[in-house]
Amino acid sequence: MPDFLVISAELAWPLAVLLAWLAGEFIHRWTRLPRISVYGLVGFLCAQAFPDLFTTEGSSPVTLLANVAFGLILFELGYRVNLHWLRINPWVPVSGLVETFATFGVVYLIAHLWGLPSMTSLLLASLAMSTSPAGVLRVINEQRSSGQVTERVLHLVAMNCVLAVLVFKVIVGFWVFQTSGSLTQAISHSLIELVASALLGAIFGTVVPAVLRHLGTLARDGTVAFALVVVILVAITHAADLSPVLATLAFGLTARHRRVAFTRTVRNFGAIGELMTVLLFVFAVSTLSWDNVLLGGGLAIVLLLARLLVKTVSVAAFAHVGGIPWRKGILTGVALSPMSVFVVLLLEQTKYAGIVLVDELAAVAAMTLFMEVIGPIFTQRALILARETAQE
Amino acid sequence: MPLEPFNGGTPLTMGVELELQLVSFSDYDLTASSPDLLHLLARKPFPGNVTPEITESMIEINSDVHTKHSELLAQLHQVRDTLVTAGEQLNIGIAGGGTHPFQKWVERRIFEKPRFKQVSQLYGYLAKQFTVFGQHVHIGCANGDDALFLLHSLSRYLPHFIALSASSPFVQGGDTLFNSARLNSVFAFPMSGRAPFLLSWDEFEHSYFAKMEHTGVIKSMKDFYWDIRPKPEYGTIELRVCDTPLTVERAAALACYLQALCAYLLERKEEPPAEDDYLVYNYNRFQACRFGLDGTVVHPKTYESLSLREDILTTLRKMDPYAEKLGGTAALNHLMQVTHMGSDAQYLRDQFNVSGSVEGIVDAAVRRFRGRM
Repeated sequence: MPDFLVISAELAWPLAVLLAWLAGEFIHRWTRLPRISVYGLVGFLCAQAFPDLFTTEGSSPVTLLANVAFGLILFELGYRVNLHWLRINPWVPVSGLVETFATFGVVYLIAHLWGLPSMTSLLLASLAMSTSPAGVLRVINEQRSSGQVTERVLHLVAMNCVLAVLVFKVIVGFWVFQTSGSLTQAISHSLIELVASALLGAIFGTVVPAVLRHLGTLARDGTVAFALVVVILVAITHAADLSPVLATLAFGLTARHRRVAFTRTVRNFGAIGELMTVLLFVFAVSTLSWDNVLLGGGLAIVLLLARLLVKTVSVAAFAHVGGIPWRKGILTGVALSPMSVFVVLLLEQTKYAGIVLVDELAAVAAMTLFMEVIGPIFTQRALILARETAQE
Repeated sequence: MPLEPFNGGTPLTMGVELELQLVSFSDYDLTASSPDLLHLLARKPFPGNVTPEITESMIEINSDVHTKHSELLAQLHQVRDTLVTAGEQLNIGIAGGGTHPFQKWVERRIFEKPRFKQVSQLYGYLAKQFTVFGQHVHIGCANGDDALFLLHSLSRYLPHFIALSASSPFVQGGDTLFNSARLNSVFAFPMSGRAPFLLSWDEFEHSYFAKMEHTGVIKSMKDFYWDIRPKPEYGTIELRVCDTPLTVERAAALACYLQALCAYLLERKEEPPAEDDYLVYNYNRFQACRFGLDGTVVHPKTYESLSLREDILTTLRKMDPYAEKLGGTAALNHLMQVTHMGSDAQYLRDQFNVSGSVEGIVDAAVRRFRGRM
């Protein structure tokens, strides 16, 4: 007779994903809330109820799959970013820079005043800079939204993610230098990793469209080819301890700008992309523990409120000069709320370097959980209030 | 509401309306961005008039009333440049073309305006399928009788305008094999097609419009989607069969061709229009939509088969003195080129072959509209 516990362990992930999907569908139909909020909540509850069944390691297939899912999302984001626009309308990148660094400054200040050590405060601040591309993109695709809030959110997310990764890696490099005293090790964990990851993505972004164009099957095979290359890119970065985040984003950006006219990839990469998203969101919060959430809950709420305020004010301040009404500027800032998945994967990836930060940063655990569930709702509401969703 | 009196104005003045596509630079699909663009355009003086259209992925621009080609073209250039700059500031591409080659009508959003919402409620999916883009040309008429005379006399020349402006070969991602597939979308509306054969404004007003209004089917002239309709409040007739061309130069040229034709017809040298002219009307219209300049039409009076390209060339030559008097010679030369080089529909098909994708067509249309290629 098979061991019941063994079966449970093997079935845990697929069942959790199925449960999350079902709950997402039902709750979305009843309440119109974003499905991904529900996925996260179900993932967290499953992981808390059966902590032994949902333990993951850096090299587990689930972690790799989650990274692939995230890679697909980042590729899609990079593919939709128009660098030419950022040159023509400089107020968009200016508002991005201001919101990102103002968030960093304010979060650092609050964490420091709260009594956290300097290094911890810096790491917390760098993570708070980013908005989760997964949360934002899924809500935009789910709502089929289009308009200035949608456009600006996509571009600002790409910007603040890249900046967050850069700042985070520099701080981690500094941390490594402080603890190990080895400058070589510190640089290899920051600068080299960043450059190599971006370069890898850029090379693929140049080669793949060229090959597709040569084959003459750009329109037909684009989506499959790009998805396959994302999988390969994630596997390479995983094996070489590079940043899949930067690599896939750079891949998307380069692929878009290396082509005269580009074919649309299928939104969300079709049904497989949808499936991977459920897994990604269930996975992201399964790494969090209730104890940490409780421990960092107070600070997390203060930080999240400050983050929301800073991002909203910073983006809204440049709305009028950037060509949109104040109201849409405010809503763009609000739509930048989600921060969960990106942070979790960044932290998971840092584990490879032998640094376990989640336990050090209890507030991150709490922020991640709150924003995994609430963040997408903020984005969704902002898009609805901006009248940019497909609902009439 | 009874029909407004016909505000007769200066004959042969002209005005142009263009419905334009708003395209997302992230995937070249249509984007529901007209509220954003209209907000930005409202902040600085606009050289003309810009209004929302039924779905949020379109806008309409109107020129002022002009008499000369050079003035009309100068204003359209100004309007275009203002639009393109505003679009770039918001990451929106602006393009001509009668249809968007791959947009899905089901994804369109109706603009928040009572009339558009009413139209959408009445016509269901047809309203969203009406995300097609046309050029309307107004020609000033001295009185209502002249307007109706011109309206029916022009029916024989309608295929010229369809073929010369054709720019909608692709619909929902595929080549329709039509040069102007847009008119098929317009034809689905119950009040589309030709106007009733009446030559007196008094009769039109009392025997036709009043009866139609009494039936409850229509409330104003706006409810008619005819190919050519009188516009009493402006004192014009409005030609509505043209696809929006890919460039404003072609839009201006088409308006001046119509102006010259009206000048010629008003001399009443041709046999007067008759109800029987409409025997071949739908067939000729179909030929122009389907085959463009390569179509074959039947002359409504002689029943002779004519190559549409040849018929256009003959008419253009006949219009030369009228265009010269009105300052529109350059416009006719432009159209002469079209008969040799091919229409915008041909250009779009070529772009599909070059780029290998429907997105490539939109990219080319956006660049062509800017006039920087």
